[in-house]
Amino acid sequence: MFCMKEKNSATTASTLGRILATCSKQAKDYGSCVASKVHEIEKDLCLKEFLALKSCMQHTTSVGSGALSHAYIQNPSLRCNVPESRGLFYDDANRLLICVTSSQVFSWETATFNPDVSPSVDSIPEGPILSIRFSLDKKAIAVQRSDCEIQFFHRETKQTLTHKCRAGSESILGFFWSDSPLCDLAVVKTSGMDLFACDSAMNLRLVETKKVNVNWYIYTHESRLVLLASGLQCKTITGFQLSTAGVVRLPKFEMTLATTESNSKPIISPGDVHLITVYGRIYCLQVDMEAMLLHTYRFYRDAVVQQGSLPIYSSKLSVSVVDNLLLVHQIDAKVVIIYDLFVDSRAPVSAPLPLLWRGYQGSDTSSQQENEGTESSTSNENIVMYEEAWTFLVPDLILDQTNKVLWRAISASSSDRSSLLEFLQRRKLEANKAKQLCLGIARTLILERRPATQVTQAIDVLVTAYSYSVKAGIYKELKNEKTTATTPTNDGASPDNERGRASGSSIDEEEVEMNLPSGSADEQQESQLSSPAISPDELYKFVFASVEEAMVEESDYLVAIITEFLRSISAEKLKVDLNIYVMTVRLLAHSKRFAELSLFTTNKIIEPSKEVALQLLESGGQNLRVRKLGLDMLRQLSLHHEYISSLVQDGYYLEALRYAQKRKVTSVRSSLFLEAAFASNDMQHLAAILRVLSELIPGFKETSEYYTFHGLLNETSSSVAV
Amino acid sequence: MGNETKSNGASSLGGGGGGFRAKMEHYVYSGEKKHVLAGIGIFTVIFGIPWYLMNRGSNNHRSHQDYMEKADKARKARLSSSPSPSSDNQIHAVNDPLTQGFPCPYKHNSAMSEPVAQSFGLCLLGFILKGFYEILEAMGMASMNSSGESLKLCVFDLRRGQNEGQELDKILFFYPPDVTFSTQLSVIGLSEGLITFTRLFSPEAACEVIEAERHSHVFHEAEPDIWMVMVVEKNKEIEAIWRVDALQKVLKEVHSLFVMFHGSIRSLLDKEPSGGLIRSHLYPFITDYLNDLSVGKKLQLPSFRETLKERGTVQMLTLARDAALEVQSLVGVLDSCAGTLRCHSVILFHDLLVSTTLSPDDTVDLFTFSVMRLTSNALSSGTSSWSYLRKGTSLSQTSSKSTSPQLLVSSDSLPSGNGHDAGRVIRPLQHNKWIKGKDGFLVTDIWGKDATPTIWLHQRQERVHLLAYQQKCLTLVLLVPTEAIVNGELDISFVKHQVIENATAKILKVEEKLSKGWGGENAYHVSGYRYLLVDNDMEVSRASPSGKVATLAKETLLAVNKLRETVDTEKSRTKEEKDMEICIRAKNNAWAIARVTRGKELYMALEKASDTLLDATDSVQSFSNRYCNGTFSMD
Repeated sequence: MFCMKEKNSATTASTLGRILATCSKQAKDYGSCVASKVHEIEKDLCLKEFLALKSCMQHTTSVGSGALSHAYIQNPSLRCNVPESRGLFYDDANRLLICVTSSQVFSWETATFNPDVSPSVDSIPEGPILSIRFSLDKKAIAVQRSDCEIQFFHRETKQTLTHKCRAGSESILGFFWSDSPLCDLAVVKTSGMDLFACDSAMNLRLVETKKVNVNWYIYTHESRLVLLASGLQCKTITGFQLSTAGVVRLPKFEMTLATTESNSKPIISPGDVHLITVYGRIYCLQVDMEAMLLHTYRFYRDAVVQQGSLPIYSSKLSVSVVDNLLLVHQIDAKVVIIYDLFVDSRAPVSAPLPLLWRGYQGSDTSSQQENEGTESSTSNENIVMYEEAWTFLVPDLILDQTNKVLWRAISASSSDRSSLLEFLQRRKLEANKAKQLCLGIARTLILERRPATQVTQAIDVLVTAYSYSVKAGIYKELKNEKTTATTPTNDGASPDNERGRASGSSIDEEEVEMNLPSGSADEQQESQLSSPAISPDELYKFVFASVEEAMVEESDYLVAIITEFLRSISAEKLKVDLNIYVMTVRLLAHSKRFAELSLFTTNKIIEPSKEVALQLLESGGQNLRVRKLGLDMLRQLSLHHEYISSLVQDGYYLEALRYAQKRKVTSVRSSLFLEAAFASNDMQHLAAILRVLSELIPGFKETSEYYTFHGLLNETSSSVAV
Repeated sequence: MGNETKSNGASSLGGGGGGFRAKMEHYVYSGEKKHVLAGIGIFTVIFGIPWYLMNRGSNNHRSHQDYMEKADKARKARLSSSPSPSSDNQIHAVNDPLTQGFPCPYKHNSAMSEPVAQSFGLCLLGFILKGFYEILEAMGMASMNSSGESLKLCVFDLRRGQNEGQELDKILFFYPPDVTFSTQLSVIGLSEGLITFTRLFSPEAACEVIEAERHSHVFHEAEPDIWMVMVVEKNKEIEAIWRVDALQKVLKEVHSLFVMFHGSIRSLLDKEPSGGLIRSHLYPFITDYLNDLSVGKKLQLPSFRETLKERGTVQMLTLARDAALEVQSLVGVLDSCAGTLRCHSVILFHDLLVSTTLSPDDTVDLFTFSVMRLTSNALSSGTSSWSYLRKGTSLSQTSSKSTSPQLLVSSDSLPSGNGHDAGRVIRPLQHNKWIKGKDGFLVTDIWGKDATPTIWLHQRQERVHLLAYQQKCLTLVLLVPTEAIVNGELDISFVKHQVIENATAKILKVEEKLSKGWGGENAYHVSGYRYLLVDNDMEVSRASPSGKVATLAKETLLAVNKLRETVDTEKSRTKEEKDMEICIRAKNNAWAIARVTRGKELYMALEKASDTLLDATDSVQSFSNRYCNGTFSMD
């Protein structure tokens, strides 16, 4: 997932850069090994290290050119092999995969995708089944038998009820269950839509009828939106939203269709229109084959606004939505293009790449053989990508009618770094993984010495995302999680890592709906990390601290990055680990930029703290000014003990003593002052200090120090009286 | 406690180096009789010899005019590079043209800190010298007074003109330029004599100042053996009261600016040993610099009116943390504008420094230059500035003289100064030469048409290109290493493009932020206080706005001036940083208070006549706590 395949892999520099970034450890090992044995060069020297580097590099390059994809189909799939199956249906309200035989209904739960789930079986009377849906409480099964008859079966009481419409004048196009307070069931007929209330005894009561001429309709439970198409070209769309808030009628709108030279008027078929929900917004996608465009419409409460068009490269096309991303399957071209509708640009997030399997090893035939052994009934060889019979179920399931296999699509993506980060931060799916990737990317950005503006952008994205999530209350600090789950990896780029992690991480699907306050709050709390947001502390710990050693020679660059980081943090009014300031001081002192160091300190860019002050004192070994900055900081922080000790250490024992006397600080060893004065060979000072100390510290005259120095004083100069 | 430290200072006097003043004081003030006697003995011997020679020489030529003719001849001969005819005795005679009496030099502070015995010692010395001077005066060296200039400034090289007859070779610069060679030689000869003499006592740091009755001679050894001497007339007007350190700072400033643009004087001398090159550079440079000091027809030196200002320091703008971060972020972008080689940058807002990546020394030089010529206030010249670096600029005075640089431009063609136009001397301090271009960059033709200025960075000893960008009151000075500029102007325009492309947004943001927080000229005024705060480590100072300082009574300012002089003396005595506190009550009952602690100095004038000393120190204490983070807290 998230393969870092460079778009323009033609540039060898970037390939090399990637190799070096990926194999930095191996390269370093090899280099240090050679350096250490430079005098005894012989063949096969450092062979081990070299092989490690070589394999790493080969691996990286092969990844660059080998089979790659952004979207994977998760393997193993859900298999629903039922003898004498009459057909497969998908109930999107309940997320059930339904397989019917003449008298039985097998249903699989797909909400928590588990290939091994066993179906539940219900028996229903024989008869033709045009469509089948479970009621929302799953107590009843509704089956459309013909274009004028729907049958209802209660699963517990085995009660049966038949609903018929006036034959001849109208016909039933379909039906769906609703959770709106007004009605429980909606039946779409050619003459309009009937809304029924249904009580526990399964008595249907007509609540309301919406009179529209309907050619066909589409409905998704995710959006609670039904679109009724009418008109000769089926261009006129009437929409209703049957949400928990009630039934909302959307304004009527016309789809755009390009006119061709020939006078044939194209008709929009239901397969050309897709309703999708991303980021809590409802979009309608409409295929315009003449113009080869995919028009997008966004539904607002009181308006429908066309949002622009996406190009189509294939005569057949389908869409799925994975984790708020739009996957457009160009079926003829057998590629999938990923779009992120959140960003304004209509540029795809990724280059078109084929859909691939996840779960077996790439395109390598040998490993395919191995896998075959474990596959049970259907071998993978039979599965052809984008078969005719594939049905793409919104949002992210693919149904293969012939092989009776259901897959879940998992999308993966790559792009340029900062928008990638932005993108990752929006991902709800597999938050922990996204977070790891973000950290990895940020680290690589810095290590590769990308231009500061680029890194700044990336950091801004991360910090803003964090700030946003804190405000939204999504981000919860899970201390234990942070320390255990985050082991820095070399690079998040290799697909191997991704696969490994993908299998382990729990997949948490979230419903984001326009009106429905998501009921999955509990789920969120259960998941490891609900948001990929990275706190500044974590950024420091896993990005800056970890690159410091490698970047110490390029501290200018790193300081610039840290400044940007601090700026970004301060703009969002966040706090960060104090150690970053200590690190900044260290870096600035290392590159001897003392003027800037003092600017940083006086302007409080480096926030004062004891740690910073001590680091300033330490760095001040080379520069007295810096040391003074540290001393000043200690004094301003009222760290009397440290201040006095440092003053004495610098030889300003008189000042130190004066300060101690004023602040009544007695914790500093009195011998410090005395020794300093004695070393300076100034007996007057020594005498003065003795006197001040005996006033300052009660009982000082009884200590051995007093006797020692008093004696010394008397020896050297009898004239000085204490 | 102040008293305690002061006594320390006196007792540890012998330990420090501290220049001639300290040394002489050591010998003369130590109170030991043998030192005083030895001093007198040495003086007599040293001055006796040249006196003898002089007297002998004066017999040889009858009149002053006679001498002048010969000197001119000698100079012309030298310039046409023919062997100079020997005229040993005449030249010798001018070595010590002392024109003034020599009263007790330490009259300013003698009453305050020095014991009577010490001042007695020095006055004795003064007496000896005075007698010596009077004799010289009698020789008729009156020409010095005839020029009517209150200021003389000269630069000379002690390593040159060692042989008799080549004394004129020593002179690298003399202001005013229209005085005769004899006067020039007499000033320089005196200076040289004093330097040689004082070096006997203090070889590392010779003479700093000689106070005579009507003139002060201020010395500055700019580079080894290259001396700058300023002779200022003490006229009867009360305005002409200087602080020696302030005058010395002027010399230091002009020199370091010169070095920034042209490299060291010595390096130019080495390039062309005849000295024509350095003379042709020094002349316009210092003249342009002095132009800035002139008010009306007169040069105005930093008098006691400017005592609450510190030349050679940087005035900083105080930034809030978020603004500082924005600025730093901008600096980060500017740093990387020339690719991999790191650029330096200095950012100013109005006439205050916002950020720098240079060492303090380089920052001061560039800051000084920027305030003089580059900032928005400097560009819109004519508007008077509150920065001491820029007074009202009147070109009338020296521009007329600069048309006749007969002294300095020798006939031989000059090698190119900056590597641009051969034979052209670049005058970086020329007035009204910078214009804001369309792209926001400041342009000038001082360095030639379409040429980018280059300057020397002292700390790294590297040459950098100077690019200045201005956005309203925000001035950015970008220094691009010459190694980064391979293709000349092509690369420069690339860098400019980079700046515009990458930094414009940030520049606008910073400008907006700073303008919002800008408190105007009086932003750093603290009501009730007139202060000067100097941080010697960072070479940063902050002072009450000059408009507010002007409200102080003259007596107060004089007291502060005196106070500062005292502190200067104390500081020069010992290299070690000492804490000290000095309070002076002025004639008008105002308090002048100085506190010095570990490289930081605070001077303050408090004009509440009713205040007791306790009140005054309390005020200082609260000032220190509020505005200086308690740096000057003493008890």
